[in-house]
Amino acid sequence: MPALHQTADQQGVFVTQKFSGGVFHADLSDGRAGVEIELLHSHLCASTADGDAFVIPYEECQLEIGGYTGKMLFCRNADRSVTLFSEDKQFPKALALAAGGRLDDQLASQLSKAKGESRRGAIFSFGLVAATLIVLVSLYFGIRAGANRVTQSLPVSLDRELGKAAYQAMPKEGSEITDPLVTEPIQSIVDRLADHAKVEGMDFELHVIDSATVNAYCLPGGTMVVYTGLISAAESPGQLAAVISHEMAHATLRHGLSRISQTLGLTAAVSLLIGDTAGIMAAAEEFFTAASINSYSRQQETEADLEGVRMLHAAAIDPSGMPSLFELLKEEHGELPEALVWVSTHPDHASRIEETQNMIDSLPAKPYKPIDLDWEALKSRVAGDSTKKADVSNSSNESSADSTVDPSELEQENGS
Amino acid sequence: MEAELRDKPSFTNLRLQLKPGDSVIAEADAMAYMSSTIRMNTKWNGGVIQSLLKRFLGGESMFVNQFSTDKGGELVITQPYPGDMTCLELKGNSMYLQPGAFVACEPGVKLGVGWAGLRMLIGGEGLFRLKVSGHGRVWFGAYGGIFEREISDEYIVDTGHLVAYEPSIGVKVGMAGGIFSSFFSGEGLVTRVKGPGRIYLQSRSFDGLAAWTNAHL
Ligand SMILES: [Zn+2]
Repeated sequence: MPALHQTADQQGVFVTQKFSGGVFHADLSDGRAGVEIELLHSHLCASTADGDAFVIPYEECQLEIGGYTGKMLFCRNADRSVTLFSEDKQFPKALALAAGGRLDDQLASQLSKAKGESRRGAIFSFGLVAATLIVLVSLYFGIRAGANRVTQSLPVSLDRELGKAAYQAMPKEGSEITDPLVTEPIQSIVDRLADHAKVEGMDFELHVIDSATVNAYCLPGGTMVVYTGLISAAESPGQLAAVISHEMAHATLRHGLSRISQTLGLTAAVSLLIGDTAGIMAAAEEFFTAASINSYSRQQETEADLEGVRMLHAAAIDPSGMPSLFELLKEEHGELPEALVWVSTHPDHASRIEETQNMIDSLPAKPYKPIDLDWEALKSRVAGDSTKKADVSNSSNESSADSTVDPSELEQENGS
Repeated sequence: MEAELRDKPSFTNLRLQLKPGDSVIAEADAMAYMSSTIRMNTKWNGGVIQSLLKRFLGGESMFVNQFSTDKGGELVITQPYPGDMTCLELKGNSMYLQPGAFVACEPGVKLGVGWAGLRMLIGGEGLFRLKVSGHGRVWFGAYGGIFEREISDEYIVDTGHLVAYEPSIGVKVGMAGGIFSSFFSGEGLVTRVKGPGRIYLQSRSFDGLAAWTNAHL
């Protein structure tokens, strides 16, 4: 708003001051126009670009402060047929000066009223924004929590479809072993544990993959994958059963789905809530094939450990394989960083040993039934089957240490 | 330049008959069809920063199209949602438009984007708004019907319904009733507008549409 400000010159001769503003008057087409307001000797004079002029004598002026900014000064004539206004910052002061004190009282009371209103407005706005933020934040967390609950109520068939699709799309690190001398002993462990799964209707489908990678995972819905590297690395059938129970627990606790709903965020949560699973399926397939299958949250890992212990105990398998496995991993971690994928996705052994041991101690004593398999036969069979290993060894430590695996290949697998 | 608002009020579009030498400025993708004698130049809508603000926060596109012609021709301009449009002739006065309301204007009209303030965000009207000033006609639209009110006193408007208002209008956001009746009646927040001046309201709000859509998903 360009305003021409001219103040009284040194001789005290009053020079016209102009302010840009507007006028409301019924005779104008559309009832309004922009004006230049001049502060003359006894009156305000406003002229439009079209040449219309409006005059308000100072003694008639009814002042009001308002407008969008709360800083616009309105001036009306006696019958209120003419309203002149300007938002120019200098206008109130100049008007008061030009009117020679006649408008000082009106102006002062309007100014203090405007100040009070703007303060009340600011307090209200601030309070409302704060309240809105609180509501939004709690809504967000509410929806997330709701999504987790919804995840648990979705049919298990969704997990199965998801797991199958992911397994198809996943890169395998080796060929699948069909030799019953290898698969049957492991299948027997899976079967014993499956009878005590927390979720009904989950079919555990075992795949043994010929690979030196020390890893195992269970995809949503029960597609269980065990690498021969894990069998070689394990010191006892109990340790092998511990890993299997932990991985099966991820599936039965449906960690995959909750991971997806958390990773995909609010959108997924909402679409889960309204029951649109098609989009989730597509995104989830992507998610699992991105090799992040084994990267669960710390909390989920702890849950899987404890659920694994529960399953082992329920299946009458000695759960001490779990903490002893962590002991083994703790010792070997330094030596075998590349091959131990399972370790790198499952960190912090000390606390896991403690937590699982505490749970085992709290379980009622029970006669454990040994795992019915020929451990040495299984290990030598696996070692013999392995095409990746040059050196065939019965010692788990050695076989893992000697395994020659392309690290870059593993890094991809271990990408998350 | 002759202008006609057609197919009122639901699918209003603006038909402009340009005389040789005429030009008009419109939202970047508002053109539905035009004579081949009309040239279209895309230009920045004000300064770069202003344009960016408009684009990301004001709901207006970053570019505007200037349509001009040496021989004259016809141009039809639409808005992206169904609803009415109205014409306003500026004579040195100004008007604030809510984000997305602007459709077209004559070259004598200045477009400026401004921070609308926290209260407008709370009032569901967006953080930024367009200020049109200068001389010439401005066409703007609304979702649903548009009606205008010349107000001299206070008026209460449901949030999201205010499309345009003059700078002389005071705007406050407040509760419709007490805190409880406000939150539970669905008429929670209202915008209090105070004259003198003119306001333009839309008969439906986008929030209402969103709520309706969600309920029918
Ligand atoms: Zn795990």
